[in-house]
Amino acid sequence: MAKTLQGITLKGSAELVAEFFSFGINSILYQRGIYPAETFTRVTQYDMSLQLTTDPKLKNYLTNVVTQLKEWLFDCTVQKLVVVITCLETNEVLERWQFDIECDKTAKESSAPREKSMKAIQEEIRSVIRQITATVTFLPLLETACAFDLLIYTDKDLEVPEQWEESGPQLIDQSEEVRLRSFTTSIHKVNSMVAYKRTNSM
Amino acid sequence: MSDLEDDTIIFSTLKSFRSLISGPDRSLQEAEPAYGRSDLQKLYTQRVEMEEAAERIRSHTSLLQLTQEKQQMELSHKRARIELEKEAHSSSRDLQRQVDQNQDLLTKIRHLEEKEEKLSQALSEQLDNNKALKRSLEELKKQANEKDNKLGEGNQMISELKDEVQTLNQKLQIQESKFSTQNLENQALQEQLEMQRKKYQEVNQKYQSLQSSQLSSTESELKIKELKRRLVLQEQDSIIVKNMKTEVARLPELEREVKRLQEDNLYLRETKENCSLLKEETEGLRKKLERMEKVVEEKLKLELEKEKLEQELQAWGNIGQTTGLNISIRSVEKARAQLQSEATELRSKALEEQKKRENQDALVRRLQKRVLLLTKERDGMRAILESYDSELAASEYSPQLTRRVKEAEEMLQKVQAHNTEMEAQLFKAQEEAGTFKLQAQAVALELETLKEQQSSVSESSPITTEEELNSLRQKIEELESERQRLEEQNNILEMRLERHNLQGDYDPVKTKVVHFRLNPTQVAKQQRAEELEQLRAECERLRDRLRKMEAGGAITTDDTTLIIPPSQEILDLRKQMERAELKNQRLKEVFQKKIQEFRTVCYVLTGYQIDITVENQYRLTSVYAERMEDSLLFKASGPVGSGNMQLLETDFSRTLTELVDLHLFHQKSIPVFLSAITLDLFSRQTVV
Repeated sequence: MAKTLQGITLKGSAELVAEFFSFGINSILYQRGIYPAETFTRVTQYDMSLQLTTDPKLKNYLTNVVTQLKEWLFDCTVQKLVVVITCLETNEVLERWQFDIECDKTAKESSAPREKSMKAIQEEIRSVIRQITATVTFLPLLETACAFDLLIYTDKDLEVPEQWEESGPQLIDQSEEVRLRSFTTSIHKVNSMVAYKRTNSM
Repeated sequence: MSDLEDDTIIFSTLKSFRSLISGPDRSLQEAEPAYGRSDLQKLYTQRVEMEEAAERIRSHTSLLQLTQEKQQMELSHKRARIELEKEAHSSSRDLQRQVDQNQDLLTKIRHLEEKEEKLSQALSEQLDNNKALKRSLEELKKQANEKDNKLGEGNQMISELKDEVQTLNQKLQIQESKFSTQNLENQALQEQLEMQRKKYQEVNQKYQSLQSSQLSSTESELKIKELKRRLVLQEQDSIIVKNMKTEVARLPELEREVKRLQEDNLYLRETKENCSLLKEETEGLRKKLERMEKVVEEKLKLELEKEKLEQELQAWGNIGQTTGLNISIRSVEKARAQLQSEATELRSKALEEQKKRENQDALVRRLQKRVLLLTKERDGMRAILESYDSELAASEYSPQLTRRVKEAEEMLQKVQAHNTEMEAQLFKAQEEAGTFKLQAQAVALELETLKEQQSSVSESSPITTEEELNSLRQKIEELESERQRLEEQNNILEMRLERHNLQGDYDPVKTKVVHFRLNPTQVAKQQRAEELEQLRAECERLRDRLRKMEAGGAITTDDTTLIIPPSQEILDLRKQMERAELKNQRLKEVFQKKIQEFRTVCYVLTGYQIDITVENQYRLTSVYAERMEDSLLFKASGPVGSGNMQLLETDFSRTLTELVDLHLFHQKSIPVFLSAITLDLFSRQTVV
């Protein structure tokens, strides 16, 4: 592993962030009930117990996206990752979980590892995931059947492989936004926020 | 080993024997002529030796045998010991086993003993419990007895109470009767009360009317008084008016006088102003005169100087001409400037000296004032001292006087100190004023010089600089306001940007949004679309089936493989329904025809057309009715089938009162009544 005890390299940081996304997306799918709870199994990661899906199609999809994301993180060409939750009946976007990624491009040129302890990074990631779990209390209920999609905001000139296509940003009409915590590996900084459709009952 | 040693001994002895034997042979061979006796001796000695050797050997062998027997004995001993030890072990084991068994038996005995004890204890406890239960039983029996006793007592109480209740009831009845009598009395009293109240009300009303009349009378008296007062006032007013008239007559004269006085006033004021103006003019003129005299003096001086300077100039000019040097105008101007500065300096010095002189005059005046004050103080002190000298005997008043004197002295000192302070302040103020005046004059002189210089350069520059300054200031203000506006706009735009960023907006020039083609939303949408299609197809199929079923023909099994038995039943039921409906219709027609027939027959035979207008009401119209509206109304009273009818009133029935009376009231027969009516109408109609 490139994550030596002394410091973090670009490759190591990319792996850390990709791993976080894989677990974070699973958490969001479990918490929001996009997939039934019995299709998830408990695993331990970052010193806490998280839910991971066992559905093979979903797993396949997630691994595809996350491996591609890891490459792009290493190249520092990815700007945002968005989890879009759409209602199947009305085709409206109900929720948007947006993760802004700021990459320190100087880490590419200098290959010296940065000083940041794994423990501190894990602690930050843990607090982010805990906050994602806690946001469920104020998000409106998803009563209809929903499906999710993963969007990645990249540089305009990036060549995307065959399996990827361009899409719209899938913004929410009349949204409320809440900014959540962020974590940094000293090479990549990830800011998280959630936007949800305003309900008229409030 | 001993055997081997024995054998070796035997062999060694044999060898020695043989050697002996052979020896003598040799010896015989060698020394044949030797002595014969020595050979025998040798043989005898050899035999003896051999016998000794044999005895030794026998002893050895016996020894050996003995040793062997000893060893065997030892072995047997050892075996016996071992067997004994084994027996000992086994016996010891048996002993131990028996000991253990003993101990077990002993422990069992102890357990049994303990059990015995416990059982005995339990027995004793049970006996105790028995006793306790017996005691409790006895107590309960006692309680039961007591309760029985109480019950008996209670019953007695109940009977007594019942008797009491009866007596009370009787009393109640008596009381009630009394109460009713009293009620009656109460009512009578109340009636009296009401009468009294009515009288009281009448009296009240009378009283109120009296009071109102009294009030009106008092009011009228008051009015009378007021009117009298007004009269008196008016008389007074009239007197006053007469006086006023006389005075008013004097008014125009007074007005004329006032006017005259005002004019005189104005004239005098003007003259006063003129006077003051003239005085000021004179003073100004005097000062001007003085200044002019001074100026003239200075002018004379300057003219003298000028002559001197001209002479000098001429001298310089001569010098210049002789030496051939052309002195430039600037040096002359410089000399002039120097002279001007000297002149200004001199003027300033003169002014300073004037100021000093004025200060000195002020000082002098102040000192004179101080002198006056001091002399007054001295006089006061002298007077006090004289009073002291004259009034030494007045001892009563002296303390007070001394006090007063002290106070006066203190006051004086304070006043003096205050005075000195004021004088010092005044002095400072005057000095400052003098310095300010000097500065002002110097500044004025500078201004004049500057103005002269500037007038030589350009006359319009000061105005332009002012204009430029104003324009620059305006520009600065405008720029500042623009800057503030731009800052606010900037803030608003930044906030909007942040908000859009949170919502997920992006710059299409720099970023693009990509996603996986086979993403779950896509898949879910496709599934949904397929489901929709399937549902729609099913819907269509079901609708077709419905239509076919409603049409009711044989169902083709092109799309359904199920045979539908209920359709046959439905067809049968439908046919039945149709038949029933047809029956119904026919029955209706038949009934209608029959009813019609029956009604016409009734009409023809009885002469009355009977219509049911309202439920339970029957209208009869006669064949021979004179008008269409003539009809009788009958109502069924009582249950429908009983046939009791009552006649309701109509216009027509009012004309038939006689018949009604006769046939309905007396004879109580409706058919007779109706037939009477027909006869009557018929007779009216036909003219015989």
